[in-house]
Amino acid sequence: MKYPDSKGHFGEYGGRYISETLMPAILELEEFYKKIKNDKEFKDEFKGYLKNYAGRPTPLYFASRLSELYSSDIYLKREDLNHTGSHKLNNTLGQALLAVKMGKKRIIAETGAGQHGVATATVCALFGLECEVFMGTKDIERQKQNVLRMEVLGAKVTPVDAGSSTLKDAMNEAIRDWITNVRTTYYMIGTAAGPHPYPEIVRDFQSVIGKEVLKQIDKFPDILIACIGGGSNAIGLFHPFLKYKEVKMYGVEAGGLGLETGKHAASISGGKPGVLHGNKTYLLQDEDGRIKEAHSIAAGLDYPGVGPEHSFFADKKRIIYDTVTDKEAINAFKLLCKLEGIIPAIESSHAVAYLEKIKDEVKGKTVIINLSGRGDKDIDTIANYLSQS
Amino acid sequence: MKINVNKIDDLFTNYKKSGKTAFIPFISIGDPDIETSFEIAKTLISNGADMIELGYPFSDPMADGKVIQKSYERALKNRVSMADAFNFIERLREISEIPVIFFTYYNPIFAYNPSKFAEEASAAGIDGILVVDLPPEESDELKKFTDEKNLDQIFLLAPTSDASRIKLVASYAKGFVYYVSVTGVTGARKSLPAEMRSKVNEIKKIKDIPVGIGFGISNPEQVKEIKNYADAIIIGSKIIQFIEDNLNDKKNIIKNIAEFSYSIKSSLM
Repeated sequence: MKYPDSKGHFGEYGGRYISETLMPAILELEEFYKKIKNDKEFKDEFKGYLKNYAGRPTPLYFASRLSELYSSDIYLKREDLNHTGSHKLNNTLGQALLAVKMGKKRIIAETGAGQHGVATATVCALFGLECEVFMGTKDIERQKQNVLRMEVLGAKVTPVDAGSSTLKDAMNEAIRDWITNVRTTYYMIGTAAGPHPYPEIVRDFQSVIGKEVLKQIDKFPDILIACIGGGSNAIGLFHPFLKYKEVKMYGVEAGGLGLETGKHAASISGGKPGVLHGNKTYLLQDEDGRIKEAHSIAAGLDYPGVGPEHSFFADKKRIIYDTVTDKEAINAFKLLCKLEGIIPAIESSHAVAYLEKIKDEVKGKTVIINLSGRGDKDIDTIANYLSQS
Repeated sequence: MKINVNKIDDLFTNYKKSGKTAFIPFISIGDPDIETSFEIAKTLISNGADMIELGYPFSDPMADGKVIQKSYERALKNRVSMADAFNFIERLREISEIPVIFFTYYNPIFAYNPSKFAEEASAAGIDGILVVDLPPEESDELKKFTDEKNLDQIFLLAPTSDASRIKLVASYAKGFVYYVSVTGVTGARKSLPAEMRSKVNEIKKIKDIPVGIGFGISNPEQVKEIKNYADAIIIGSKIIQFIEDNLNDKKNIIKNIAEFSYSIKSSLM
């Protein structure tokens, strides 16, 4: 059985929970994508941009000192070396090609850490599209560099000062803009979430990560690890491996200050199913069904929901979801800097940190970690954290 | 068992006979606090409301503009629960028989449990449910229970809706179709698109069902025009603005809303 089904459901998750104003646009996108996704010309064009513009394939790097530390063979999929510094460009290149072919001239996006915002601003410059990125004021504060990057790329960054002033609120505002300008505007969602067909589209474009890994490995991995915010880098690595039952997969959610404190962003580990931003999925919410604010030191994980396909595989127990705290992520950040000379994004540091949690299990095993982004953007956040602790 | 005769259908049947257009004001339960919002509801009813649409506040109102967002934020500070909302409507039922439409986003209903929600909503005296992020495609999970309780699940149509959407929505619609006047979020607007009239006619050609128009309507002049072809007009943000502007003076909220409501009702006469 292929997921999602024809109505965009992954089992009981996913779907299209949006206002009627947007339904025609969503259906148009679905039809268009269905037609084009197997079109050879489109696929070749996408591959061409991935190769010549993004610089793919990204290396699958054997991290020898980290491997030594954990007595295992650890490989890092170096999405941090992708153009713009994270896996986000894979998706925005694909969606920009779609938008251009659909005749859309204006692109909107939401961003948390700013990585998707930068990747969106980049492709808009590349294809000559108008670009507006919605970003929470709290995230603007902690990811200033990415705001500047978006601006030099020609994007308009619109601050969102509502609710928790983070990714969730930026997404609300992007949806409001989309409802208003739906006739001219393409909404470029940055993660494998939102109304169908977005979770499928983003997964398909991000699956280049796992497909490359399959070509790059000499030995089949035992374990895959990736961090989960919305979950696009994780589904990108995991999806091509799902059919290999012997490969174990860990999705690492942001445990923030600890699950028990309630201050975290672990929708699967610490939430329950609900409906937000166009899909049914695990959410952080109170008993009245209002959405709770998430907390994570990683702006890119600071979101109270998760892509519906992850909710589906969580229930099926095909992928195991667990958490690491802010502190554990910072420790892993420092570890990777010192052992491998790689400054990882704090988001990706969550995946690295999980090694410590399963250190007995990884012994003697081959492990692939998705290093979804680089950490230059996070230097201020790290400095602040270290000065306070 | 209580037999729930649907009051929305009754009202539109009567109004169609007499050629009248209904006035449906919208407010949020709990804004600025539960008691004052109850007073506001009473005020609207005694100053011309034919039905009332009550918003159950949600943390992430994606289809709403600033005024209703802030209204929900104020209401959420008072921690309005589903039990509070049902209690509010039960109290309203003691003093008025006008149709009540319950407006919200889907997650609060899903979290409450759709079956339990439909049962208790019906018992509290709710006549219609409007869930803004629940298009027909996803509505079965709730509709099977609301249908059982004879609650009208009201669906939206928009300027972007083509004939195939109109057909689909019309086949699900009960009570009336809520036509969203603009591509956009809720909020008062000075001018409204001219295409409204032709869209309403298009809907009515596909299905003979009452059509209410909402989003953006803010003054008697617009109402006088729209009443020529719509069965109901829905006004929310303009009314809630009176709350926002008079937060320290509840008497003034009531006075302003009473006057405004009366002016709208008069322009429908």
